Amino acid sequence: MTAPFPTPIADETQRLLSADELAAALRDIGARRYHNLHPFHRLLHDGKLNKDQVRAWALNRYYYQAMIPIKDAAVLARMEDASLRRIWRQRIVDHDGDAPGDGGIERWLKLAEGVGFSRDYVESTQGILTATRFSVDAYVHFVKERSLLEAIASSLTEMFSPTIISERVAGMLKNYDFITKDTLSYFDKRLTQAPRDADFALEYVQKHATTPALQRQAMAALTFKCTVLWTQLDALYFSYVAPAMTPPDAWTPGTGLVPETPVTQAAGTGTIGPDDVPRLPRGVRLRHDAVRGQYVLLAPERTFDLDDNAVLVLDLVDGVRTVRDIAAALAEKFAADRAVIEADILVMLNDLATKRVLER
Amino acid sequence: MNAITPNAPALPAPVGLLAELTHRCPLRCPYCSNPLELDRRSGELDTATWQRVLTEAAGLGVLHVHLSGGEPTARNDIVEITQTCAKLGLYSNLITSGVGGALAKLDALYDVGLDHVQLSVQGVDAANAEKIGGLKNAQPQKLAFAERVTQLGLPLTLNSVIHRGNIHEVEGFIDLAVKLGAKRLEVAHTQYYGWAYVNRAALMPNKAEVDRSIRIVEAARERLKGQLVIDLVVPDYYAKYPKACAGGWGRKLINVTPAGKVLPCHAAETIKQLEFWYVTDHSLGDIWANSPAFTAYRGTDWMQEPCRSCDRREKDWGGCRCQALALAGDAAATDPACSLSPLHAKVRELAVEEAAETPPDYTYRTIGMNVQPNVRSPLNEEAPL
Repeated sequence: MTAPFPTPIADETQRLLSADELAAALRDIGARRYHNLHPFHRLLHDGKLNKDQVRAWALNRYYYQAMIPIKDAAVLARMEDASLRRIWRQRIVDHDGDAPGDGGIERWLKLAEGVGFSRDYVESTQGILTATRFSVDAYVHFVKERSLLEAIASSLTEMFSPTIISERVAGMLKNYDFITKDTLSYFDKRLTQAPRDADFALEYVQKHATTPALQRQAMAALTFKCTVLWTQLDALYFSYVAPAMTPPDAWTPGTGLVPETPVTQAAGTGTIGPDDVPRLPRGVRLRHDAVRGQYVLLAPERTFDLDDNAVLVLDLVDGVRTVRDIAAALAEKFAADRAVIEADILVMLNDLATKRVLER
Repeated sequence: MNAITPNAPALPAPVGLLAELTHRCPLRCPYCSNPLELDRRSGELDTATWQRVLTEAAGLGVLHVHLSGGEPTARNDIVEITQTCAKLGLYSNLITSGVGGALAKLDALYDVGLDHVQLSVQGVDAANAEKIGGLKNAQPQKLAFAERVTQLGLPLTLNSVIHRGNIHEVEGFIDLAVKLGAKRLEVAHTQYYGWAYVNRAALMPNKAEVDRSIRIVEAARERLKGQLVIDLVVPDYYAKYPKACAGGWGRKLINVTPAGKVLPCHAAETIKQLEFWYVTDHSLGDIWANSPAFTAYRGTDWMQEPCRSCDRREKDWGGCRCQALALAGDAAATDPACSLSPLHAKVRELAVEEAAETPPDYTYRTIGMNVQPNVRSPLNEEAPL
């Protein structure tokens, strides 16, 4: 197979590429190696993973997110030009936020909490795969040890991320009932941040990779970064999909989660059925309002205006009759279908129960 | 001749009476909604006068009576007053701190027909709560009071006023409400009037904290559906549109102070040019219909732009008059909490700045203390305050 563009390995000529050719060559690296092509991601987007597999992804990926500002601070520390630093520091702000509760890391924690993790467990990173740690740490070391050009070029995976994010958000919302739009708010921001960052980084690389050797270094740096991302998914696939060999000390399903709130049903609450006996608790009263010429239901800090039908029903809510009895009484009075009335009454009574002004 | 102009809006009937029975209170919360000049015991209305006021209120169409203060159970006649409400068919809501003599009077209040208890909680952590309320050993008293309320089968609402000193405890308030068997929880971000205006810099949380608290409440509402109703009041300064203050000026609420002064809302006295009438001089119906304070901002005729032509003018009624005065220097201006107000951006900047600064100490609510509000206004120096 012949590559249409020069790659660090395949390009024999080692000639100097034009700015456009360089951009195309870098994009080509993403087209072949970016982790949207990884089988784990396909499973993730297509809804083929179970909840625990999605959890494993969110947990491990947190380590990557948490180390990004450290990586960017390392890059920043090597920049001698204040105007460069001013631009680069925005990445740290995006991730860390300006205040507690803000920023990309926080939004990722929200995502992890959204799939059931306790925040403390995620932040401890104690359950992540060793391979995740190794590959992320390798990335941080890379930007410290290589040239600034290579460090900046390695960030260019951001050129490819809007595609993966759109696919991911749409796919996950569609396929997982435990994922909400709110949970995925991390990605909303990245859709605008990533292209802005990538534009800057690409321009920098185009400008500073002035020799064939430097251009190959930049391409190699981006290839390296793709492997950082790819390796993390390899490890997830190996540990949680097939052959599902989880290394010692890595997260196992059931741990690190917030206990599901036990449905401790307070007395008298819960869905009202036909055989239940509804009643108005203390503090809820049906009253005729002579000034306005209507019946009202008085309840803590609120008043419900009642239509004629509601008054008829509530008049029969006496703590003795069942819903079925009430429906039967009204069916007889109005020569109507009892089942239809019962269904209507149940909707109304359950609405009032949800508002905590009716019990059973 | 027809006495009624064809298009004159009918006088609305009031729905609620906020009966501030006394300004005495064992707590000293720095966000208290009482005025800075508190009424003294010697000036409080007597039992018979309150009973007459309640009777007149029922006749006007009032349905809910909020027995408030200060601490309403500090009055010796709280049981008699509650009984009068029950006899008149008025829904009685005791708004209490739960400390002092509250627990001792609770059973008697239940027996005469009290309908509902709203208990204030200043914090979840006892030390924090007692620092905010300015009273040692308040928290255990509150918890014991709440326990007795639910034991009696009275509906309980917990009211938590949220500010930067307790905004980290929002989850805790929700858990506490569930644990205590409350049916409702009010997560009410501080509204900056009265003592809260004086203490604004000590109280204002930052936007990220506010957003987080809203997310927590929304998640808990879903999780606790059918078990706990959570009412959320977001802080005005960060809102898009203002609150319809008291449901619209002179439309729903009557506020009677301990001394019998009748106000359209509890902060209305900050508008110095208004003339308030007293229940000792006029009947409540006369005051509702004709007192200059009530007619001043009732309806929409008094409005300026952008309210005047706004299609929300009968939704939020221009927002809060007292806040308009405090922040815009004109009680008839659009409430600067509204995003349509020309001052809104400044108000928001101010909130952001204050929330970013190290909070000053609280100025605790105290009777007989002459407090000069030292609060920055978003306006130039001609503005009041």
